[in-house]
Amino acid sequence: MIEVKDLTFSYGKDKEALHGLSFTVADGEIFGFLGPNGSGKSTTQKILTGILKRYGGSVTLFGKDLKNAHTQEFFRNIGVLFEFPYLYANLSALDNLRYFASFYPKEQLRDPEELLDELEFKRDFLRKPVSSYSKGMRQRVSMARALISNPRLLFLDEPTSGMDPTGAVLFRSIIEKERQKGTTIFITTHNMFDADLLCDRVALLSNGNIAALDTPRNLKEQNSSRSIAVSYLHQGRRREATITAPELKNGFPFAYDEIVSIHSQEPTLEDIFIQYTGRRLS
Amino acid sequence: MMRQGFSQLLKKDFRLMLSGRFFLLALASLVLYSCYIHFVYAKVDQVIYPVYLFDPQGMLDTQSNLDSQDNSGSQGNFGSQDNSGSQGASDSQGNFGSQGNSGSQGRTDAPCDVNSRSNCNSRSSQTARSDYITEVDSREALEAACEDRYSVGIDLSSGTPEFYLLSSGIRTADNYRAIWAQAVLAGNLAGQAEVIGTNSREMKNRREITAEFLFFELSAVGFLGLASLLFKEKQMGVIRVHGILPVNRTMFILSKLSLFLVSDLVFASLLTLINLGPGQGAAVLPAVLLQTGILSLIMALTGFFCAVRLPDFKQFSLLYLILAVFITTPVFLAGQTGLSGGWIDYHPMYHLFKAMKGACFLTPNTQWPYYAACLGTILLLFLLAHRTLTRELAREG
Repeated sequence: MIEVKDLTFSYGKDKEALHGLSFTVADGEIFGFLGPNGSGKSTTQKILTGILKRYGGSVTLFGKDLKNAHTQEFFRNIGVLFEFPYLYANLSALDNLRYFASFYPKEQLRDPEELLDELEFKRDFLRKPVSSYSKGMRQRVSMARALISNPRLLFLDEPTSGMDPTGAVLFRSIIEKERQKGTTIFITTHNMFDADLLCDRVALLSNGNIAALDTPRNLKEQNSSRSIAVSYLHQGRRREATITAPELKNGFPFAYDEIVSIHSQEPTLEDIFIQYTGRRLS
Repeated sequence: MMRQGFSQLLKKDFRLMLSGRFFLLALASLVLYSCYIHFVYAKVDQVIYPVYLFDPQGMLDTQSNLDSQDNSGSQGNFGSQDNSGSQGASDSQGNFGSQGNSGSQGRTDAPCDVNSRSNCNSRSSQTARSDYITEVDSREALEAACEDRYSVGIDLSSGTPEFYLLSSGIRTADNYRAIWAQAVLAGNLAGQAEVIGTNSREMKNRREITAEFLFFELSAVGFLGLASLLFKEKQMGVIRVHGILPVNRTMFILSKLSLFLVSDLVFASLLTLINLGPGQGAAVLPAVLLQTGILSLIMALTGFFCAVRLPDFKQFSLLYLILAVFITTPVFLAGQTGLSGGWIDYHPMYHLFKAMKGACFLTPNTQWPYYAACLGTILLLFLLAHRTLTRELAREG
């Protein structure tokens, strides 16, 4: 679906934002682009969505070179969720969706009301102006806008930003559903929790370079100390022990009366990011 | 699909204009302007410059005295005073130097006639005191009467007519005042004016002010109206969404331009028809609409460019102020006052103003370089607007 080779981009002299990125995204894959602010995530997404031009290297989308693909057909096949909910504040959720949907062929469109129901949007607000919505409601309408045209390729920028925990869970389930339909999803985020839960593969981006690219599981396994921390009671005293996974083969290598807790020492994606880049994600 | 997209853009922009109360403001302007034209400006007529005479020796009634002056060829003096202490200069053509507004008094002696010196001395056959003259009994009273900087005084106490006036600040107006005083003194009041055109005073006033209101309203609203609409979309961030929609950016600009153009054309039609009347209004309407279209497109595209280019409304307001001061104010001054000079011909807005005025007076601009320049400007501004919009879409948000 996406093939990027030696992608470079500069905002001016000595302002190179991307230094030769190369990666591919397969059909139906959820691909995560992780990096802190200013690492080049948004620049890459803007290039892939056809907003930024004059880049170096090659980008192929839907099997076509992106430089020749800025047609109405290209834009009909993509959906974009921006980090902020960009909507007409004077229009209602339904009117916003109808307006944005009007630029796509009818046979491609989903029903706006059904979509909003799926996103658990409060029905009472369907016809009220967006200016009266909370941030979470606006983000739901924004997600509906990105999905209304049934895109083959979906770009999501910080999809759960501004959502409460319930909303974040809902969004993750919606994204999962889209994957099951065969939609290719490109997520840019610095939320390692979303990336870990959703992405098939992630690229760790730092200063315009990809520091690592693999599945979250592989990245964690490759960088894991493969140890566990055990908290237990022995002769009335609480004790802690850290043991490696192979040591568990024959049970706990210490005497105990009661096991209180066992914690895997597997690193998080953020730990791995710091390990690769020396920087934090947020 | 493309047509449907354009109609959706139009619909959306129309709703934005409605929610921004644009049409309400346009309607309010129309009512306000029309009321002013009907009830105030159409009836405005300039009060004739009052002329005060100080003639202690009754010389005005003495034929022989004035005749003797004619024979001697003596010149009348213009005692044009200012408060700056510097004497107003006068040239050989009898023109007055402009006088300042502060300081001590000064005096200017000048030939009394602007074009024909004989006018000053031609009282020989006129003995009847003009109805336009008000006699005063002292020099002090004469000076006090002229303090309004509108009246003109004639002092005959020395035997030689001395004209006394405080400068109005406008050289041309001062010259007119002086010429009028001479004519009153000489009694040459009949059959001097040449009537140009067929407009009555009221219709002349109506055409004049309609053209001026149209020019300034279209300049301001064309620029501000579209820009405020665009700033709204910028603040909501929805402009960026259009960067990833299957919609042509040219159409995004054209939909806004079309709406503002139609709105301006309707406004211009109504203002013209209401204030010039159906007959006269219909006669000038094609030319007025052509100039409205040109002005509307130029100002709307300028507003579009500035609104997209500038990051916030504060900066935009500052720019608007600068534009008002440096672009429309000189045109206003040139059109409304005696302030003039060759420099105004190099001011592009002045040509648009003249063309609008010409259209209202049934003398439309027919010079092709003017239209070629307008077309070139519109195309250039459109390209600039398109390019700026593309940059804005890619801007880091």
